[in-house]
This record gives sequence, structure tokens and C-alpha cells, in this order.
Amino acid sequence: MTFASWQFGVFACSVFAVYYLPLLRAYQVQMLVAASLVFYGYGQPELLPLLAVAVLGTWLFLMLALRNRALWLPLGIGFNLALLAFFKYKFLFLGAQPAPTGQPLVDFLLRLPLPIGISFFVFHNISLLVDMTKKDAPRCDLRGIFLYIIFFPQLVSGPITRAQMFMPQIVPKYFSDVPFVDAAKWVLSGFFFKLFVANNLNEMTSHMDFPLYEALQTQDRWILLFLYSFQIYADFFGYTAIAIGLGLLFGYRLPINFNLPYIAVSFSEFWKRWHMSLSNWLRTYLYIPLGGNRRGAGRTYLNLIIVMGLGGLWHGAGLGYLLWGLLHGIFLALERPLLPVLEAIDSIWFRTARIGVVFLGVSMLWIFFKLPNFDHAMSYLAGMFRAGTNPNPTKLFYNLALIYSLPVIIQHLGVERLMQTRLRVLEPYLYGAMAALAYLEAGPETAFIYFQF
Amino acid sequence: MEQRSSLSWIVKCGLSGAAVLLACGAATAWVGGSLQLPATTTRDGTLITLNRYVQESVPDVVLVGSSLTYRLNEEYFATPKLRNLALAGGSPLTGLEVVLDQPRLPKLLLIETNVLSRAPDDAVIARFGRGQSVAPRFFRPIRVAVAAYENRLHAPLTHKQIVDTMDRLLGQPPRDFDNSVYVDRAVRQYDEDPSVAVQANVERLAALMERARALGVRALLFELPLPKRVEATRTVQITRSLVHGRFADPRLWLPIDAGLSELRWLDGVHLDERSAMLVSRSIDTSLGRLLGQIQGQIPSGKS
Repeated sequence: MTFASWQFGVFACSVFAVYYLPLLRAYQVQMLVAASLVFYGYGQPELLPLLAVAVLGTWLFLMLALRNRALWLPLGIGFNLALLAFFKYKFLFLGAQPAPTGQPLVDFLLRLPLPIGISFFVFHNISLLVDMTKKDAPRCDLRGIFLYIIFFPQLVSGPITRAQMFMPQIVPKYFSDVPFVDAAKWVLSGFFFKLFVANNLNEMTSHMDFPLYEALQTQDRWILLFLYSFQIYADFFGYTAIAIGLGLLFGYRLPINFNLPYIAVSFSEFWKRWHMSLSNWLRTYLYIPLGGNRRGAGRTYLNLIIVMGLGGLWHGAGLGYLLWGLLHGIFLALERPLLPVLEAIDSIWFRTARIGVVFLGVSMLWIFFKLPNFDHAMSYLAGMFRAGTNPNPTKLFYNLALIYSLPVIIQHLGVERLMQTRLRVLEPYLYGAMAALAYLEAGPETAFIYFQF
Repeated sequence: MEQRSSLSWIVKCGLSGAAVLLACGAATAWVGGSLQLPATTTRDGTLITLNRYVQESVPDVVLVGSSLTYRLNEEYFATPKLRNLALAGGSPLTGLEVVLDQPRLPKLLLIETNVLSRAPDDAVIARFGRGQSVAPRFFRPIRVAVAAYENRLHAPLTHKQIVDTMDRLLGQPPRDFDNSVYVDRAVRQYDEDPSVAVQANVERLAALMERARALGVRALLFELPLPKRVEATRTVQITRSLVHGRFADPRLWLPIDAGLSELRWLDGVHLDERSAMLVSRSIDTSLGRLLGQIQGQIPSGKS
């Protein structure tokens, strides 16, 4: 069940309709847990037991770690990483069609597809184990743990919420406290960016797939690369905006995941603005435990590259993903000693040039997401630097490309700040028009890009 | 107070959204779906082609096929009331099934058999089958604006312009373009055994041809010429042997004699403009004889 389907609309409205009934207030957490199970099991019920194993296993390790943290915390983290490794990387070793072993249970497990959202709920589980076993951690029960891990707005693609942020929010909720306008703004923005921007751009960027990209002219390869940058942002921002809006409707504040990433002037700033919940997670649970920047410059650079490389592998088992992460790590390491010098230059043009360089670098690296096959990605990149000779090149409509990209560009130019002025009075009309356009101009339905991770 | 302002915000938002929808609904009722929207993907092109077919009057002759036949522009033919329903990236069976699902049928169906390894698109068939109207209730303001702009920039050619272009191109020698890179790629791509898929599609084609015959429509098969090296590939050879094995009667085939030495395939498999004109003229010649025969045998398609 995806956010953009009518089934999800019916589902979310039904849950909301009963959630705030005074008679059922004592069961709000259970209701959300049940709803999340329905949401997750819809279409793939065979994966529900896996979710149960992940949650109950983590709960068991948590209980044990509360008694002996030094022993059981690493084992609990290992249990979750093993789950992730089994489902995400088994095909790397066994091939797409693993040979039958003769053991029905093993064969069943080997044939299971990649469970949607496993990367996200495994990260939630690790956060739970680390945060809840600290001395000053809030208490939590099994219901709360279930809700934290499988809360349906964030279950599939985040944002990755830290346990110490989420757990204190598990209290009775009241209808009168619902921030409807904020929730509506998030949900409408999310649907607009997904349906109007991402799905329409996806039609154009489908020409980047193998072997279609071979029919592209050189300049169109460049244009499509930038369009894909806009698409992946609109797609993921759209998902998390809907998730945040839904969270607000049910009384939970989820972390903001994006803050205009394409105006970043450095790669380190980019990672403070893009998928912020993942960056925070990696910094808290990986970079700092590795030593962070406390063990000298060389070790800091190495830590950055290791963390980003693992972050790349977290997205998928492939050379392309690993390379994407490692290159981001290398860029972070290379720019780190230069940052004080760069920051000292106070010029709008220099700043704009820096934004351009970072956007170009980030966009070039997105090719490994669009074309996970390493050879295809390299072939696409190589074609960007030589003249195309195809006599029947694909025709792109540049005007449509610009129009569907405009929301991302306008948002990055600071429309939010404009709305803080006297133009604020126009805000509801703008959101209404966005909702209508999302319906009228919706591109063909496509899955959220981050579902595959 | 806060709740009242929230309600006011939501009402304004809902009203403005409804106003945009109403405006687009009213504009659709007024203008209709006559404007040709830009196709950003081959699937878009498919939907536009089929949409036009189910909305316009029934032609006498319909071509169905893949991207190979798609290159034969309707303007290249002298035969009146001919429509090309070939779908780029699709199977000839998709167009064929959509045509046979319509309440009014053409007199003659020409079916390309070069590409029979692709499965018919059942979603498209269901969408356009049984003469269903697929006109949208609301127009898409952005797409319509872009379509209007594109149509203004690239207005459709007049009949005279088309004839002049054809005369000019046909008066020239064939293009001297080294397409060996593309032929090499096509040869690699066609080096596989498509038997399973082709066999299933050939059987479905036979059933559809039988259905066409029962509905009073004459259906003929044709093959478009390919470069010699591509003709020799496994995919082409196996497809040809399976199709000819199933449809051995020469009366089921439309002869195309366009003079192989005059034809060029710029990207290795698709005819260039001049070659497409030559092939279209060859089909015209065969059609002239056939339509005369059909006129005497079949009064009209089923109504």
C-alpha cells in the first residue's frame, strides 16, 4: 500500500476516524500498531512474521541489555545487522535464483524478497537498543517499542527517528491538539512533489535506463542527469513530507529530513541538508563510535570515507552504491581542510559557484542510484563527454522538463521566506492550487525510489 | 480562535483547489480533447495513437506493428483512409486486438510480423477495448499549454509541403551513412532464441486472424526488410521460420518490393525517411490491387 494509492487514503481516513474517539483513547498505541501491521502486511503478508521476529528479537535483546549492556547490546546490534545482511546481501552470494537446499524453511527464507523498509526498521532497532539502555533513558514497554519501530508513516522509508526523541511522545493524544494546518501543508506538499514533480520527471528520466540512454544526445544526457537530481529529491522529500504530515495527524512529530539540500555550498553542508535523519544516525551510531574527529586528521578522513562507504552499501548490495558512498566520503575528506579558507571568501558569486560545484558533483554521483549496474553507469557518464552520433535521438521536451522542475527550483530559491511576508495571506490558495495540480497533472504512478532501499 | 483560523485556512485551500478543478473541467467540456498532447515516452505515444484511433472515423486500411512500421507515416501513402496503428516499443498484437475490439471495423488489416517476441499490452487493450471512450474529464493545464506552444512552433505540414518533401527526398540518391556501429549493436541484440515467446504470440495471432475473418475483415501479414546482417541473426531467423511455418499460405501475405539496394537503416533496424517512403509506395501498389478485390467481395466491416 503506497501513500499515493486510493487504498491508502481509505486506510488513513479510517484509522484517523477512530483514533481520537474518547472511548478508545486508552488503546491509541495498540490501534496504531494494528494499523501499521495492516499497512505493512497489505500485499505482502508473508513478511509480517519477519517484522515480528525483528521487533520481538530486539525487545528481547533490549531487556537483556538493560541488565548487562556490555554483553547484550553488541549482540542485539549484531542480530539486527545479521537480519539486514541476510535479506539485503544474500543475492550477492547466492544469485537471484538460489538453488533449492531441500530444507523447506531455508528455501522459504532464501526465496523471500527484500522486505520493504528493512533498512529503516533495522536502524530504528539499533537506535532503540543504544538509546534505551543508557542510564538516563526513558522507560518503555513492548507496545511503545512496537509503535516506535513500525509506526506506519515512517515504517517504509523513514525519516529515521531516534528512540530518545520518539519514546517521550507516546502519551494520550487529543483531537484538539492536532495541528491541522501544519499537517495539511506537509501532506499537500508531499503529494505535489511526488505526483506533479517526481512522477512526471520520471517519464523523462526513464530514457536514462539501459539501453535507452544510448539513443540520447550528449546535451540531453546532461539535462537528464540534473532532472534525475530534481526527481530523486522531489520523490524522497515528497515521501517524508507526507510521513511528517501523517505523524502530526496522529500526534507524533517526526524529524525533518530535508532542508533545501541543493543550495549547499559544501559536501558536508549537503549532508546536513539531505536525508538528515540518516546523516544524524550515521554520525551518532557510526562516525562518533569510530572516533569521529578526535583521533587526528588522518583518522578523521578515514572515518568519513568508511562511514559514507557503509552508508552507500546500506542503500544496496552493489559496486555502484559502494562507489557512490566512497566518493561522497572522499569529497568530504578532500574539502575538509579547505573549508576554513573557502568560508573566509565573502562573495555572493563565489558562494553561487560553490553551490554549482556541489550540485554538479552530487548530481553526477546520483547516476549510481539511477543505474545500479556499474557498467551501465560508467557508460552513461562516458557518453556525457563525447559527441553522440545516433541518427534518431530521443526527443526531450525541454519546456516540460523545466516546468516540472520548477517547484524544486522555486523551493530552493526561498519561497518559504517569501510566505513569511505579507504574501502569507495567499498561502491557503497556493496549497489548494498545488493539490489540484497534483491531481490534474499527476505523472504515471511509480513506486517511491527509496522503497527499494 | 486558533481552531477557527485553521478551519478558515482549510476552507480557503479546499475552495481554491476546487476552483482550479472546475475551471479545468469546464475548459475540457468546451475545448474537448482535440489538442495533441506532447508524448514524453513511447508509452505516451502509444496512448495518443490509440486515443486518436478510437475517437476518429473508421479507416478502410489499418497497419499494426512495432516501431519498424511506426516509421511509415500515414502521409507517405497515396491510399486514402489508411491509418498506421503501429506502436513504438510495443507488440503488433496490441494494436490488432484493440482494432478488433471496436464496434466498427476497417476492411483490411495489415499486420507486421518482424517483432513477435513482445507480449501484447493487456492493460492497453483493456483500456481501449470495446470502443470505450477514454476522453479525460479534466484537461491537464500544463500539458495543454505546452502542446499549444509546440503546435505553434511546429505546425503540421500541409499536403503540398509533404508532397514536395517526398518528391525532393525520392529524387535524391540513398543516404551515404556508415551505420555499421548500429548494425553491430543490433546483431548482438538479436543473437538470442525467442522461440517460446514467439510461439505463444504466433498462436494468439492465428486466433486473432480467425476472429478478424469471422468479423468480415481481411487480415494480411507483412514483413519489413532489414539489413542483410540483421536478417541473418538468430532472433530474426527463428521468428521468421515460426511465423511462416504457421502461416504458410502465400495468399495471407502482402508482397513488399521496395528494392533492397535503395533502402537504408540509419540505426541498424529502422528505415530512414526516404526508405520508409519507398516501402509505403510499394505497399500502396499492392493495396491498389487488393482494395479493388475487397470492394467486390466484402461490402463493409461489421457495424
